[in-house]
Amino acid sequence: MSSPSLLDVLLRPGSLQAVFQPIFALGEDRGVRFVEGLIRGPFGTNAREASVLFEYVRRKGKEVEFDRLCVRQVVASAAGLPAGLGLSVNIHASTLEYDRSFPDFLLHLAEASGIPAPGLIVEIVEHGQGFSGAGFSAAVRSLRDRGVGVALDDVGCGQSSYRRMLDCQPQYFKVDRYLVHGCHGDPRRQAILDSIAGLARTFSSRVVAEGVERTADLETLRQLEIDFAQGFLLAEPGPASWLAVWSTDVSGYTPAISAVAAPPE
Amino acid sequence: MLSHLTPCLGEAPEGALSHKILIVEDEDSISFALRRFLSMRGFDVDCASELEEAQALVAHVPYAAVVADLRLTCVHGAEGLEMISHVRKHAPGTRTILLTAYGSPEIEAEARSRGVDAVLPKPQPLGELADLLTALVEAE
Repeated sequence: MSSPSLLDVLLRPGSLQAVFQPIFALGEDRGVRFVEGLIRGPFGTNAREASVLFEYVRRKGKEVEFDRLCVRQVVASAAGLPAGLGLSVNIHASTLEYDRSFPDFLLHLAEASGIPAPGLIVEIVEHGQGFSGAGFSAAVRSLRDRGVGVALDDVGCGQSSYRRMLDCQPQYFKVDRYLVHGCHGDPRRQAILDSIAGLARTFSSRVVAEGVERTADLETLRQLEIDFAQGFLLAEPGPASWLAVWSTDVSGYTPAISAVAAPPE
Repeated sequence: MLSHLTPCLGEAPEGALSHKILIVEDEDSISFALRRFLSMRGFDVDCASELEEAQALVAHVPYAAVVADLRLTCVHGAEGLEMISHVRKHAPGTRTILLTAYGSPEIEAEARSRGVDAVLPKPQPLGELADLLTALVEAE
């Protein structure tokens, strides 16, 4: 009798864990505005780390099936989130292209869990899957028409191209950590961030800086008028119950919050 | 194929320089023995039983060396050769060893053309494999 494959293990109910990372506003009205739902693979497997997990899933060509599984897990786990926080979920661009019923699936799932459509943000992740884009555009339009926010992930790196910006016209540009890390003291990174911020203003979009790990970088992001920041400096990903600490009193956020660490997942 | 379900046993002896090694092998017993022995020799060992799992790991984990079996399926596969090519392309500094019970001059020539560092027959004395790995990773 052969052992189950890693894919079989991943697709078992309950094998995935959802954690949430707060995203902070950097303007005058500071505080947590929404959280990103993140997935961790099973303990004791090579797929515990999200980067390996999703690379494996993409190599198996199972993005569509897996995205549904992840969204189901994130939305179910979000039940313990403080009211009023937006919830961001990651979806492969290829899933939106090929899974025509995905918008309905997501909206029904959210509705059943008491999450209103305007409280949802679909974070589009792209990894080089070539497609015409007709299904993708229709899916994005369907989500947007029903009040769901759209974010483009990994802006400035990877496959998040200008074409994709035009195709999905995101409300949020999520800037890859590669451009954020070390932006303090690096005029070239600052120039790129400033350029993205300008581009976002043209789109009437907001910018989220990912991977903020240093206070100096955070201050540089503020000076560049980046709208939101996310990263270990501010808060580690944690279970929904832990995020209750952000429930109402988040407007007085200071970088001292970085001293707060999430409990073990 | 339990390699992805077993916890890491790759505990290097205290103070030893621990090189990270990936074993790509679909037979549980062989994978277990390699992990156990190489861990005791001071390597930090990961195991993968599928090509895609191994490729995903190589894309995100810096390995000093990859030891791949030629066949990861029961048919006439040659996933080990694909793995060698993948490592050469995505982690050119990583050393590679191909293990095979189905060796032939043609297979060895093909593996060489893909940039493998060594082709070894199965079964392979574990001590010799560990010695070769040490020589390869410390030659870097």
